[in-house]
Amino acid sequence: MGNVLSILFCLSLFYVSVTSRVKAYVAVLRIQGVILSVLMLIPFLYNFSIFGIILPATLILVKVFLIPRYINKVIIDLDIKRRIEPTIQQMTFLPLVIASVIVIFLVSNILSQYTEMDVIPFASGFSAIVIGIYIIMFRKKLIVHVCGFLILENGIFLFGTAVASELPMMIELGTLLDVFVVVFLMGIALNRISSTLEGFEVTHLGRLKD
Amino acid sequence: MFGFAIFIILPLIGAFFCYLIKDLRIQFIASLLIAVLHIGLSLLVFLGIYHAQLPTFFSIDSLSKFFLLILSNVYFWVVLISFSYLKRPVIAKAEEGKKFYFLLLNFYLASNSAAMLSDHFGMYWVAAEATTLSVAPLIYFYRNEEALEAMWKYLFLVSVGIAFAFIGILLLTLSAKGTMLEGKQLFFWEFIHNAAKLNPIWLKASFIFIFVGLSTKIGIAPMHSGDIDATSNAPSPIAALMSGSLRLTALLGVMRIFQIIRPTSSYEFAKIIIVVGALLSLFVAFVFMFKVNNYKRMLAYSSVEHLGLISLGLGIGGLAFIGALYHAIYNSIAKVVLFLTAGNIHSAYKSREVGKITSVLTRLPKTGWLFLLSFLAISGIPPFGIFFSEIKIFEGILFSDKPYLLAFVMFFLLFVFINMGKIILTMLYKKNDDETLQVEPERFELINVVAILLLILLTVIAVASPEIIYRNIINITKDFGMNL
Repeated sequence: MGNVLSILFCLSLFYVSVTSRVKAYVAVLRIQGVILSVLMLIPFLYNFSIFGIILPATLILVKVFLIPRYINKVIIDLDIKRRIEPTIQQMTFLPLVIASVIVIFLVSNILSQYTEMDVIPFASGFSAIVIGIYIIMFRKKLIVHVCGFLILENGIFLFGTAVASELPMMIELGTLLDVFVVVFLMGIALNRISSTLEGFEVTHLGRLKD
Repeated sequence: MFGFAIFIILPLIGAFFCYLIKDLRIQFIASLLIAVLHIGLSLLVFLGIYHAQLPTFFSIDSLSKFFLLILSNVYFWVVLISFSYLKRPVIAKAEEGKKFYFLLLNFYLASNSAAMLSDHFGMYWVAAEATTLSVAPLIYFYRNEEALEAMWKYLFLVSVGIAFAFIGILLLTLSAKGTMLEGKQLFFWEFIHNAAKLNPIWLKASFIFIFVGLSTKIGIAPMHSGDIDATSNAPSPIAALMSGSLRLTALLGVMRIFQIIRPTSSYEFAKIIIVVGALLSLFVAFVFMFKVNNYKRMLAYSSVEHLGLISLGLGIGGLAFIGALYHAIYNSIAKVVLFLTAGNIHSAYKSREVGKITSVLTRLPKTGWLFLLSFLAISGIPPFGIFFSEIKIFEGILFSDKPYLLAFVMFFLLFVFINMGKIILTMLYKKNDDETLQVEPERFELINVVAILLLILLTVIAVASPEIIYRNIINITKDFGMNL
């Protein structure tokens, strides 16, 4: 089940690599949030506990509802155009993503021979981290950068489940809260940027140099 | 729990109080009281008079109490001058920023104390990220375009960097697979005691991710750009706070993983990475000092240089390690003086461009002299502390297995000194032909008193060289498994 969900997660990365609509990025964030929440809920099918449900519930709340809604609100408020404004051609971006994912899967497979780990969630998580960085590098719109950062964060979350790191719930909740506040602050900053600098693309940020 | 209450809970309550109470003076008094309690208790803990009992995920060792005292010290002076700083006239839009100033400062103190006292990687991460969140809105204090851009870049770059550090923490978990640490919590001490059993490949990967990720916050090249923009555009007290304490919080994370890696076969690898990062930082400071034309950016590059020097000392080990820890104290104090005096100049001239600043010694004689003295302090001129710590670092490098590095370091530092000196002396002495010198005599402000006190402190610590500091530093070296 974990592997199936990880593959679905990986497919969402391909979708995000070909789409040129900003809203599709938000939809992918929502889908990834659902996948990660379901992944967290699987253990409860066998061993239910009220206390343990807090984390998956918070995950759903933050990653499926709060953050995507907030980003949508920013998009509407700022009247951000639908296109993502890439800096490289989509037909160059997709092969780059595919090649990276293939390399990550192959390397993960080799590494799994030395250390016990779940290859598919591990490689999917790492792919999301790399693609998140690609999105930040090859897109002009700052709101898309925020989405790239969140895809990277989702990748880390999946990666965490693959290496079976058991962080205490308080700390997991702390990390979720931190991510939410980061996105919240970025939203506020974007609002200011659009009104002060009259634009929300990375090209508008060029004042600070030596 | 008393210690925990003072170090973390009280600043949080202070933040909430500042949210409720709108009067800036009351906010200041409450924040100052909290800062006094914080520094008082930090000092008692450092002197070994009080042994704080902390809850799970937090503990105090030689390293954390050392860094905690540096934080308390910097924070106290910054809060002390904040009220007089906030009284200075700013544009109407920036008035809004004052409302949240003390709230965010208190939140910063709580999160930074939590990061320094944490003994768990997860807790450290959460707290370190919270420090970014508290500082980012403060960078945007002036509400101008540059501050906005700096805030965005800092928030974005550091958040991505911290996310990288989180990957490093997860890889550390992976390195513990098949050992007795598997499935256990990420407590520093558990990992340090069982470091030899960790998988070296994953441990190296973990180190790289944590080092690169936290470099965005420390300001180690080539990840320093966000930090430079933020430090140079933030209001002076915040820049002082960032240079004096926030960079060290991130450095603490690197030191923790370095402590784990030290007894393992991956140590040489980690050492090379740190030394390369440190030298690169010195090189970046060396290059940019030639072209920098904004004096606050110049000070930010000076931070890159000094954090590079501290990292170099840590990487080289031995006597250089001791020098690096002393350097952390002295640099934090000197940076507060530099940024505060630079803030005075900025307030008077309304510009950060070196070309627009002339005759500071005539127009602002008190600030000018203090700025000059703090420049001498940061450049390692005796009797200021940095001279002694740099000598220790140099000696450590000279007697290490890589003595040739000293030549590079001296070369870079010499040119940084010359270029900084050129800029500062131009600002202080250059006369403007068009200037009509009808200047009001400069008032002796609290910031000047604080700057004098800090310069005295910088000298007294160095000259008196208190035994307690030395003993604590030796304990840190012992914790790192070094035999001197």
